[in-house]
Amino acid sequence: MSARQRRLLVALTVGCAALVASCGKSDGGSSAGAAPQPEPGATAVGDVPLGDVAGAAQSTLATQFPNPYANDPQAVQQGHDLFIKMNCAGCHGYDAKGGMGPNLTDGYWRYGGVPASIFNSIYQGRPQGMPAWNPALPPQDIWKLVAYIQSLGGSYPAGQYQAWLQGDKQGDNVPAEVAASLLPDQAASTPEPKGGTANAPSVPPQADIAPAPGTGK
Amino acid sequence: MDTCIKIIERASPLLLRRSLAGAFALLLCQPMVAGAQLSGASTPPRAELGTGTAPPSPDMTIPEPGMKAPAAAIDSPEPPLNNAHANFAPNDPPGEWRRQARDYANTRYSPLDQITAANVAKLRVAWSFSDGTPNGHEAAPLVVGDTMYIVTPFPNLAYALDLSKAGAPIKWSYDPSPTPLAIGKACCDTVNRGSVYADGKLIYNLLDDHTIAIDVKTGKEVWRTKMGDVTTGMTMTMAPFVVGDKVYVGNSGGELGVWGWLAALDVKTGKELWRAHSSGTDKDVMIGADFKPFYSWMKGKDLGKMTWPAGMWKTGAGSVWGWVSFDPETNTIYYGTSNPGPRVPSQRPGYNLWTSAVFARDATTGMAKWAYQFTPHDQWDYDGINEDLLLDLTFDGKPRKVLVHFDRNAFAYTIDRTTGEVLSAEPFAYQNWSHGIDLKTGMPKVVAEAQPKPNVKVNNVCPPDIGGKDWQPSAFSPRTGLVYAGIFNICMDVTDHPQSYIPGTPYDGMEMTRHAAPGGNWGEFMAWDPVAGKKAWSIKEQFMTMSGTLATGGDVVFYGTVDGWFRAVDARSGKVLWSQKLSSGIIGQPMTYLGPDKRQYVAVYSGVGGAAMVSASEPGFPPRGGVLYVFSIDGESPHSAAGMLTTEGAVPAVRSERGMGGKP
Repeated sequence: MSARQRRLLVALTVGCAALVASCGKSDGGSSAGAAPQPEPGATAVGDVPLGDVAGAAQSTLATQFPNPYANDPQAVQQGHDLFIKMNCAGCHGYDAKGGMGPNLTDGYWRYGGVPASIFNSIYQGRPQGMPAWNPALPPQDIWKLVAYIQSLGGSYPAGQYQAWLQGDKQGDNVPAEVAASLLPDQAASTPEPKGGTANAPSVPPQADIAPAPGTGK
Repeated sequence: MDTCIKIIERASPLLLRRSLAGAFALLLCQPMVAGAQLSGASTPPRAELGTGTAPPSPDMTIPEPGMKAPAAAIDSPEPPLNNAHANFAPNDPPGEWRRQARDYANTRYSPLDQITAANVAKLRVAWSFSDGTPNGHEAAPLVVGDTMYIVTPFPNLAYALDLSKAGAPIKWSYDPSPTPLAIGKACCDTVNRGSVYADGKLIYNLLDDHTIAIDVKTGKEVWRTKMGDVTTGMTMTMAPFVVGDKVYVGNSGGELGVWGWLAALDVKTGKELWRAHSSGTDKDVMIGADFKPFYSWMKGKDLGKMTWPAGMWKTGAGSVWGWVSFDPETNTIYYGTSNPGPRVPSQRPGYNLWTSAVFARDATTGMAKWAYQFTPHDQWDYDGINEDLLLDLTFDGKPRKVLVHFDRNAFAYTIDRTTGEVLSAEPFAYQNWSHGIDLKTGMPKVVAEAQPKPNVKVNNVCPPDIGGKDWQPSAFSPRTGLVYAGIFNICMDVTDHPQSYIPGTPYDGMEMTRHAAPGGNWGEFMAWDPVAGKKAWSIKEQFMTMSGTLATGGDVVFYGTVDGWFRAVDARSGKVLWSQKLSSGIIGQPMTYLGPDKRQYVAVYSGVGGAAMVSASEPGFPPRGGVLYVFSIDGESPHSAAGMLTTEGAVPAVRSERGMGGKP
């Protein structure tokens, strides 16, 4: 543990001591009505790709790591409390619509907009000033923050991972009938299709996709 | 519909009171923006504030439509309205602009007088320059000799433009490559307030807490000094200030629990000579035996520590992100300190010295001479960093050396700069947090209901956090005796949320919605009589007026608006003589210079951002985009004739795709 991490933990401990009620409440969330799924390990979540998958393959990993607290109202409330107490609101706004940091209520996610990607952004931090909240926050608390963000509409819609990666979404001012003609049938694309095992990509990897030598950035 | 003018003359008290009632203003100036009344998710209890006080408004005359500009400025100059004057040291060449305020006294006055009320309407764009960065542009360009120097918001690029060639091509450009981490630590956009020229170097601050100096001949970095750790939430946005062999720099981060300071570096080497903090022990603050504050409540040992709950001064902010002034006669520098942290006052009982204050320090040793706290225990983020204009004037029949300061708390202070005594403090913008400043004690009389409370929504507190005027600097003309400033007419609904200190994250806690104050206009441009302590005239603006101001020897004053109008105004009457819509909102600082062709040019950056973004949901709010505009009469320059002109550049523009939204 670096000196800085130690300082952070000390600061958090001090902060929690001053705010016993709130910090205590946000721990664990064991009283949630719907019993949470087993805690996903952060290392496994690390397998979620940040970009598209080479070879135009579709990743199914995103759907393998659903938020165990999604749609859990108590967890959403606890996520909201954490959002205030951990100073998230200071950067992202009390309405989460952005300020120093980005808007978290829309579908624009530089580092991925599925719940597991959002978890990673909080867990790992991001290079433009977003701090890493591991180890300051346990994974449960990070998932609750993700649940709160999801409750604001800030993520890719369920089942729309590939579509949103490719920009298949309607603009704000498009009439519904036009939008319907632009978008593929959303119902059809909701669960990963093809009936087969989830890890079978629908597009086979191409053989000749390696970039030519010397063209790397 | 866009602008309405209040022309104001010397007031009879009766008329003054009538105009205070606002009836005239409403008739003349249609409300442009409905003041938002928040309907709310009713959870937090609310407190409603009553109406506040408008500043003493002079009475007004209605300008005739198409009224001719007074030609007096050219033929028979009218005497100034008062005897206020300034020392224009270091008396740089009249055609140049070597530091952000042009002079030590912070007047932003240029003696150039080719552009006057008679010809200013013929101003046209001579050339323009896009610097490739999208964030808020708050700096003035510099001109030294036949070269213009500009610095950009993050990633803090520097350009030297050759004014002697067609289209002012790039002589050199420099990318200091600050860390992207700084982007997310800057509270209020990744702005930079400009550079200073000294000793053959261009000196400025990087957002990631480094001060750098570039050789203006070669464009190469001469020195780089690390001033702080950006991972703690500290950034640097202010323009360095140079006197002799010293460059003065300060930090930003009042919303992130930094420990504020002003430091002096050696101009030649960048070596740090001393650093004076804004809180802590007397040693930290560089307070010694020579420290003589005027008011007794600021006298005592270690007040920068004792006026805080235990230890909280270490994260108490008091950052130094504004302007420095210098009085050569007494070898004194003056500057302001930011709000205390966290912004939730209930967490830090006490005066929280020396935040939201002004310091006078020995320019050589850095030791404090006096200080004055504008807003003790600052509960609204009123800060104290706005510019201090050093003027000499007669007050109550006695000649006084004063400092004129328009504080964010909406009061205009005239302070004896040799003693720290407040001579007058009058509101210049709408406010309801105070019943005024007690001149015996120097303390504001606070309205109890205007104080924020934890987890309670208090509606309609005026001004809001960004004040009756923010950092945007004013200008003084010795030809009129007036000080000119862009100000705000804004209020806030505020809910305080108690905070924990987590390094590198906001130590803030103010949830706010801002809206226009009574009248509906967000902005105003005013001429202030510093002797009378009241406005001479003012112009209401629909949008925030957050640009710097330029005063000139041609008796024309320049300013810009957040919706992108660049205006020239008659310095005496306030009549708008010329307006030009630029590509983005204007929060830069206009300046003027003589080209190599001895023609007078006026330059200003367009590029909205910074605190102006609080009004980003107003209809008509412009998009971002940093473009420098340079104007001349008829747009003429030696290289703008008809024909096939070509670029004689020395180098290509430096890569600049590192701004927000660009390469991560």
